[in-house]
This record gives sequence, structure tokens and C-alpha cells, in this order.
Amino acid sequence: MTTGILLHRRFGHSRAGQIAISALCGLSLLGVAAGLALSWRDSLPDPVATHWPGDGGPDGFMSLGAFVTVLLVTGAILVALFSAIGFFGGRSAGARRLSVGLNVWIGGFLGAVLAGSLWVQRGLADASGAVTPGWVLLGAVLGPGVLALVAVMLVPADPRAPASGPLAPGVERADLASGERAAWIGRATIARPAVAILAAVVLATAAAAVLSRTWVLLAVPALVVLLALAISAVTVRVDRDGLTVRSALGWPRTRIPADEVVRATVTAVDPLRHFGGWGWRMSLDGSGRTGMVLRRGEGLAVERTAGRGFVVTVDGAKDAAALLNTMAERARTPSGS
Amino acid sequence: MMFRIDPSSDEPLFEQLVAQVRVGVAKGNLAHGERLPAARELAEALDVNVHTVLKAYQVLRDEGLVDLRRGRGAVVTGRAQADLSAVERAMADLIRAARAAHLSPDATATLVKEAMR
Repeated sequence: MTTGILLHRRFGHSRAGQIAISALCGLSLLGVAAGLALSWRDSLPDPVATHWPGDGGPDGFMSLGAFVTVLLVTGAILVALFSAIGFFGGRSAGARRLSVGLNVWIGGFLGAVLAGSLWVQRGLADASGAVTPGWVLLGAVLGPGVLALVAVMLVPADPRAPASGPLAPGVERADLASGERAAWIGRATIARPAVAILAAVVLATAAAAVLSRTWVLLAVPALVVLLALAISAVTVRVDRDGLTVRSALGWPRTRIPADEVVRATVTAVDPLRHFGGWGWRMSLDGSGRTGMVLRRGEGLAVERTAGRGFVVTVDGAKDAAALLNTMAERARTPSGS
Repeated sequence: MMFRIDPSSDEPLFEQLVAQVRVGVAKGNLAHGERLPAARELAEALDVNVHTVLKAYQVLRDEGLVDLRRGRGAVVTGRAQADLSAVERAMADLIRAARAAHLSPDATATLVKEAMR
């Protein structure tokens, strides 16, 4: 909560400030958990159980100091990675939100795993009797997820940045008579490989929950199904207002006003090579472009003001790009002329 | 797909939309089974009344080009018109041969149906 308030009040639109605060927040969640764990030192078995195979007792053990160190180092590396991505590529609010959310979530997740799995071992003489902390894992995934969502929502949206110059030269336009209205609407659905991966994750987590009889863990596959639905299909719409991309569930969605479009083109997208996977993504090329990437192939690429960019995979992107360029041009021309 | 309307045209707005879908289906730009945009979404995007779009979709349904189903919106059911000139030429030969053999139109049609099974 404080992350969001700080981001909003103190740092406004400063990219470095937002990323730094979210990194501090993630690390302090992990730090608090480490402090708690060390304060339980006297009541914990030595070594402590650190890994549960899914059904029954633990199969991995470490000394308390080593366990805390491993999680702290893992957390620090991941937070540094997410921060670097946000710092170097976070020109748009969408990209910074990804980085801020991941920073808060990973810190909270690792902290909750650490504190939760040790909390159930307090008072035990021998760690091999420790029970599978199913609810701990669930809480570790969901709790920080809520915190991350709050932080993400409080990253302010980009300020309006209407273009001051003309459209980029030489771009395709739709041939519209003046006074003629036009709209382009297309749908994109997620590719088979992504569905296969999501299905495998759902099956594996559901099987783990059933085999270990920790029914509360069934919430994890349910959450994955919800996320999969959110990115399974999007509607892409180009009209006089600009570009709107909306998921079948209504979220995530994004809007690019026509007067912030510098150039719209067709692009060839390779999800793994260009974006590292499917869904709401950030480009791997360091350009800071965000993308709604559902499959390999044709996509609509929009270069917008303030160095931002956006890509969405959709069939018929050529017509969509031409119409968006035309609408961008109309938005720059005072009406009536 | 792209939809456009010209408010200055004499053609009613719904007719303009109907004509575009007709052409889209005939040319194969709109494939069988493809979903047309939700009426509300298209109306918003073109800044027209939603009833204009609904009327266009109803006309298309009456023409057998789309199927309107609650919750699924308008789904294209028409198929692209292939080039039929070769079929027409072959049919002229068939009809001549059938008449020479004194086959009735029904009997000829039955033979064609069986041959195409």
C-alpha cells in the first residue's frame, strides 16, 4: 500500500523513482521475512526442512542460515533484473507497471515462502516431521499478488502527449473520402503452443494439489485458468479515436489516442524471440515496446510519441495500420478544413 | 475487417454496411464461421445508432449470409463464390447429352447427386 502512495505522491512520473521504490518494497518484504525467520532461531530444528515433493514429508533440508541466504540472494538477483528491465525499457506506464508489479510480487512471494515454511516448523525437534505447508504456498502466491496489483494500479498512467509534428513520411493510408467514417475491427486468439503450456501448468498444479490432498492449492490452477482467459482473445479496434485493444474479459486493455500515433506499420512477430513468450509482454530488444502477443505472425506495430511503442498480433494488420495512420492524420488536422 | 460509411450518400447507412459484408463474403475476405463485430462495438466505432448495425445484421441474416445467435453475435455462414464458369460450360454439355438420352431433369439431377457422393 505504501509503495503505491509513495509512487504516486513522491515520484509522480519519474521512472527511476517508481522502479527504485518498488525494488525497495520487494526487498523489504523479503527482509522482514528474513528477520522473522532469524528471530525464531531458538525454536527451529536444525537443519530446517526447505523442500516438499508434494505428498507427505519434506525431502530437502538446509541450515537456517543457508536457507535465508539462498532466498535473499535469489530475491536480490530477480529484483535487480526486473528493475533493470523497467529502468532501461520503461518508457511507457504499461512497461513500468510490469516491472513494479514483478518487483513487489517476487519479494513478497519469496518472503512468504521463507517465513511460512519456517513458521510451521517452530517447536519441532526434527524437521522431517514437518507437514506440507499447502496453505503457505497459496498465501505466498496470492497475498503478494494483491500487493503487486495495488502497486501496479497506483503507477500513474502516461500523461497525454499529443504529437506536435506531422505523421511519419511515407506511411500507408486508407483511401477515405473526407467526411467518410471508417472503423477496422479484428480479433486475435491465442496460439496452440501457449494453450498447451497453460494447460500443462493447470494440470500439473491441479495434480499436485490433489495428490498432496491440499485442496486449498486448487486455487492456483483456477488462477492460471483466469489469467489464460484474460489473454486468450482480444478485440483490436481502430476508429476515429485511435487504437483500442481489449481482452475478452475486459482486462487487460489499452488505448492509444489517434493524436499520439507517429506511425503504424505491419510487423512480423515471433513471440519467443521478440517477447519471450505470450500474453501482455515487454519487447526483448530493449526498445521498451509493450505488446499483446498471442501468436506468431502478422502484427500491428504502433510507434507513438515520447518514444513509446506497442505491438498487437492480429490478422489483416495492413488495413488496420493504414486506417490508423489516416485517423492519426485526421486528428492533426483541425476539423472543417 | 474495415467498415466504412458515408453519411453524405443517398444510400441508407444500414444498406452501406450490408453491401460491404456481402462483398466481403463473396470475395472471401470474410470466411465461413468468422464472427462479425458485436453490434454495439461497431456502432460505437462508426458513431452510428446500434439499431442501424442490428438492422444491417438482420438483413444479412435474411439473406442467409450470417447466423445471429444470442451470446455469439453474428457469424458468417455464406461462402465465397468460386469461379463458376467452368461448371456452367460443363452443364451445357450435360444437358444436351441428357436430352439426347431422353432423361428427365429429375433423373439427371439424381444421376449427378449420386455421382457426387
